Amino acid sequence: MLVVDDSPVTRKMVRRALGLCGLEVAQVHEAGDGAEALDQLGRHHIDLVLADINMPVMNGIELVERMSSDPDLCGVPVVIVATPMSQDRVEHVLDRGARAYLAKPFRPEALRDVVVQILGTAGGSDA
Amino acid sequence: MPEPTVDLLTDILGTVLQESAFIFAEPDPEPEAWEGEVLTARIAFESTQGGSLRLVTSPRAAAEVAANMLGIDPGAEADANGQAAISELLNVLGGAFLTRFFGAAVPSQLGLPATSVGTSPEPAPHRTCAAAVRLESGEAIVLELDLETR
Repeated sequence: MLVVDDSPVTRKMVRRALGLCGLEVAQVHEAGDGAEALDQLGRHHIDLVLADINMPVMNGIELVERMSSDPDLCGVPVVIVATPMSQDRVEHVLDRGARAYLAKPFRPEALRDVVVQILGTAGGSDA
Repeated sequence: MPEPTVDLLTDILGTVLQESAFIFAEPDPEPEAWEGEVLTARIAFESTQGGSLRLVTSPRAAAEVAANMLGIDPGAEADANGQAAISELLNVLGGAFLTRFFGAAVPSQLGLPATSVGTSPEPAPHRTCAAAVRLESGEAIVLELDLETR
């Protein structure tokens, strides 16, 4: 799994939530922006990306667009984990290729539900 | 569009503190003047009106927020994450403010939060509205809204 957020606190919170909600994730990688995320995606096998929108260098929407247009990455689902957004912005990011949107702050159970819905398992993921 | 009110800002601040950091805070209608170091975080927004939100608090309160967000004990790690925790708290406050004040149907966008530490907060030149809460520890957190007039 890859957690993409420019806030180190948020990355730690997502890691904590993954543990609290009982998901068995073998490895959690981190990136501070979309460009770092693309680098991580090129170096590791990632089953799911949890990405913020509002980031410097490359934001979450551009990350989703870049992944959607890349044959090697278009199959990796992206969940946007971001502050409450206007409806048009949510629709825009889903139109660009994100699989789901989870608003901050979120309960660990809500994160689990989204991950299970997309990956179809509550544990055993290799990445 | 409704006028921004102290009650709205107080409610947003209290709710986000509770949901993001599991911290219960009481409204503080008459916050005391800041003493010692002050941490200030600011985030700009754009919607049908532009403006910014500013969060002012003490490094001690920031460390308390960090400890609660991360589920860690008070100490060096919480202190080290205080500024980033307040930055993230303001980020979430910004999103909550935009959807509640302008409405979820109205296109809006947040900037990136910026933080600074000083001995007193810089004066907010166009402050429209402000709300303060006090944590159980006695530390205060102030949320200020600067709404541009057009």
